[in-house]
Amino acid sequence: MDWAALRVSLWLGAGTIAILLPVGIWFGRLLAIHQFRGKVLVEALVTVPLVLPPTVLGFYLLVMFGARSPLGQAFQSLVGQTLPFSFEGLLLASAIANIPFVVQPIQRGFEAIPSDVRDAAACCGLTPWQRFTRIEIPLAWPGILTAAILAFAHTLGEFGVVLMVGGNLPGETRTLSVAIYDRMQAFDDRSAGVMAATLLVIAVGTLMLTTTLSRRVGVRRG
Amino acid sequence: MCDVADRRLSVRILQRSPIPLDLDFTCDPGDVLAIFGPSGSGKSTILRSIAGLYRPEHATIRADGEMWSNTASKAFAPPHRRAVGMVFQEYALFPHLTALGNVMTALGHRPSAERRSRAEELLGLVHLSDHQDRRPHQLSGGERQRVALARALAREPAVLLLDEPFAAVDRTVRRRLQDEIDELRRTLEIPLLLVTHDFDDVVRLATHLLIPTTAARSRAARWPI
Amino acid sequence: MLLVATTVVVGTGAGVSAQRPPTVAAAANLNFALTEIANQFKVDRGTSVEVVFGASGTLTRQIQDGAPFELFLAADEEFPNQLAKAGLTRDAGVVYAVGRLVIFAPNGSPLTVDERLNGLARVIKSGKAGRFAIANPDVAPYGKAAESVLRKRGLWDAIRPQLVLGDTIAQAAQFATTGNAMGGLVAYSLVLGPGFAERGKYAVIPESDHRPLRQRMVLLKRAGATATQFYDYLQGKTAKAILRKHGYGVPQ
Repeated sequence: MDWAALRVSLWLGAGTIAILLPVGIWFGRLLAIHQFRGKVLVEALVTVPLVLPPTVLGFYLLVMFGARSPLGQAFQSLVGQTLPFSFEGLLLASAIANIPFVVQPIQRGFEAIPSDVRDAAACCGLTPWQRFTRIEIPLAWPGILTAAILAFAHTLGEFGVVLMVGGNLPGETRTLSVAIYDRMQAFDDRSAGVMAATLLVIAVGTLMLTTTLSRRVGVRRG
Repeated sequence: MCDVADRRLSVRILQRSPIPLDLDFTCDPGDVLAIFGPSGSGKSTILRSIAGLYRPEHATIRADGEMWSNTASKAFAPPHRRAVGMVFQEYALFPHLTALGNVMTALGHRPSAERRSRAEELLGLVHLSDHQDRRPHQLSGGERQRVALARALAREPAVLLLDEPFAAVDRTVRRRLQDEIDELRRTLEIPLLLVTHDFDDVVRLATHLLIPTTAARSRAARWPI
Repeated sequence: MLLVATTVVVGTGAGVSAQRPPTVAAAANLNFALTEIANQFKVDRGTSVEVVFGASGTLTRQIQDGAPFELFLAADEEFPNQLAKAGLTRDAGVVYAVGRLVIFAPNGSPLTVDERLNGLARVIKSGKAGRFAIANPDVAPYGKAAESVLRKRGLWDAIRPQLVLGDTIAQAAQFATTGNAMGGLVAYSLVLGPGFAERGKYAVIPESDHRPLRQRMVLLKRAGATATQFYDYLQGKTAKAILRKHGYGVPQ
């Protein structure tokens, strides 16, 4: 078991959620509540990472931010390292790849709130912030939680973009999924097997969690 | 008289689309103005405009001694700053809160120590004390309506707006609710607007009648004529 | 908005990597040999390096894109020369080992192995040829050598439809040994690794059949003290003995 790789994977998952949840809540809510021209296009754009092969994302990140690109060189002189081949670069790639997994469930969560209920909250004297925290979030939280769990599980499974953008650096960008591949190439099937089993357990565990949660919420609502 | 003028609701709305509206009416404290017409005629739009949930092309709305909307001077008070109590067509109760919780939400203007007791008082007023700890999904249609009413009253509104309040209940419950509303208006001394497509409500409750029409500027008339 | 958030995180996290041992990029054929040398280095000198294995071409590309490696052990001379020309290395580096190719067939395969590839020719002619693994010639020098050997023996066109390309020579060896292929042209150093002897048979390909697999290593511009130490260690007696044990030729 490559503990460093497990740590990288968990941090990547946590970091992706930390970045995407606020963005997702803001954006998912916006899409749920407002109608505007071009909304269909925006919703389609949000879904793009779902159908985009991870290698395409990896390619663009390397081309746009690698040491050979002007943007990458500027970044390097500003921060001291390139974006690809760093944990932070991986985080950016992971955040982009997970946008649909976060925005869509959250949007559905907010859409499920009848607009009447929001209006009634306003008529009860609640300010927009109070409406958000006392009425909307308590009603939309299953969507938010689903988004967090899905994004976390999906991040753990990322491989193509991690390999392309991360470079398999131990302790930095070598996630558990990449470590499995790495160990197999080193003819170390036993380690690979242990790690594969771990990822499997985590995957099944998160799915069980989402199912139990949605059932429990259903009961509360009646 | 200064007092009545202060508590009078005066509404002037002019709009071409999406629903054409041309209205000019007032409603005094203690009056029940029924807004009557088929669906799509803009009745709910009128209520929502008064509540601040909708902004017509041109509107001048005065209530509670204040200017709530004035498109000419660009004045607009958002709904949470209007002392308006509204009962929605499908009640729009907060599903995650109990009946008590729902009513307490509208009591933000009271000090927190008083909120619970005041909410209990209001639920008692609508005869729902026994069920105050139930969630909306555990209440019948008529009971939900009462919670919605209690919540609207909790606001100590300057105007009470009821949007098709009896649409979803049966005859007997409707009778009872109509009587309660009638009783309320005697004690409340505020303008009460009631949107309905059922003339029975007009007959039993209204003191004034408004039928929105595009044929001419709509005004309110005394009822019965 | 995402980019701003990430830059903030990067700015605060940049210092953390400084404490890690230096990362060495190494061609995949060195899997067993270099791991052993690195472990010995730790015992002898008390410091360690992290090794990342991959195909020489892929690693070169990553270095050009800014990957933070401090030392690069390639499977040929062209890739390190490319980096030196681009000004990314300290100097031209040195040749640290000469590799050999073998033809390998797992137990139970219809392929028989011999240094002139007659067995391969026979199985192709019989129409019973299964998949044959080599490393991708575009990114792995051992793959390029495999291609030239097959061409020299006149078997390239015939075997082409049966080829599976590994992204690295290690992946090719995996394909060749796990029974998914009837065999392959893989690195000598890999079949000398643990557990390989029982898996099948091999024959070493004569050096004259391909351009010599002279493997060059270079220190990158950013190399620190430990990486330099390791570079020197790799040219010392202990490292050379280990390389020889794993089937490499070593320069005198």
